[in-house]
Amino acid sequence: MKYYESLYIVNPNYEQGKLDEVMKTVSETISEYGFKTINHFVWGKKRLAYNIQEHKYGSYVMLHFETESLENLDSFERFMVLQKPVLRNQTIVLDEKPEKHIEKASSSEENKKNESKSLVEKTVKSSNEIKSKDKEQNNLKVVEEEAPEVEKETEEAPEVEKETEEEVREEYEEKKENQ
Amino acid sequence: MAFQSKRKYCYFKENSITDIDYKDIKLLKRFVTDQGKIMPRRVTGTSAKMHRKLVRSIKKARNIALMPYTNTGTES
Repeated sequence: MKYYESLYIVNPNYEQGKLDEVMKTVSETISEYGFKTINHFVWGKKRLAYNIQEHKYGSYVMLHFETESLENLDSFERFMVLQKPVLRNQTIVLDEKPEKHIEKASSSEENKKNESKSLVEKTVKSSNEIKSKDKEQNNLKVVEEEAPEVEKETEEAPEVEKETEEEVREEYEEKKENQ
Repeated sequence: MAFQSKRKYCYFKENSITDIDYKDIKLLKRFVTDQGKIMPRRVTGTSAKMHRKLVRSIKKARNIALMPYTNTGTES
């Protein structure tokens, strides 16, 4: 059994409904050819490194599948090339079985935010503990000075991320308007 | 000590990376010039084995428009 990974770019002007239709047709043909799908999910809308058919952006779709026979692989490639909404596709042989993709990318972002929050809380707690100890002992003044610095670092990190995200969004919107 | 030179080392051996994913653009961009050309082995210091894998994955990334073939600044 061999495992394959096919990454293809769909027209960026397609909405979610149309994109789902394209994915449906692809998955149907795959089952026709006798391939077993492992993963089939949208990888995200990305800026292309160079223009393809005068498109600056493209929505990437990832597809993992497995087969025993190599008969229908050429016809699958041919099918993908003939598909109008698909700008580009590339299939690759994998050495190992791919891991099952777990959807909801937003949940991972939430987790990250929660982690950063918890980090801040921890630092606050630790600093409070240190302060209480200081009152008792008066020996650990150096530690007290260091603790607020750590807090600042953790608080700054998420802000930078937000700024970059906003910048990217603004750029994207400007380009859409220009188009 | 005028002739003390920086020691070149293989990035992949140092970080014990055996497989290069063509979707990992952050990693691949280290081994490409601003123009988008693949840097030679004598500059980067990667081992021959890993350089072959690196080149292949960069070319895959170029084909699927994750990395540019050229970056000459002609694109608007």
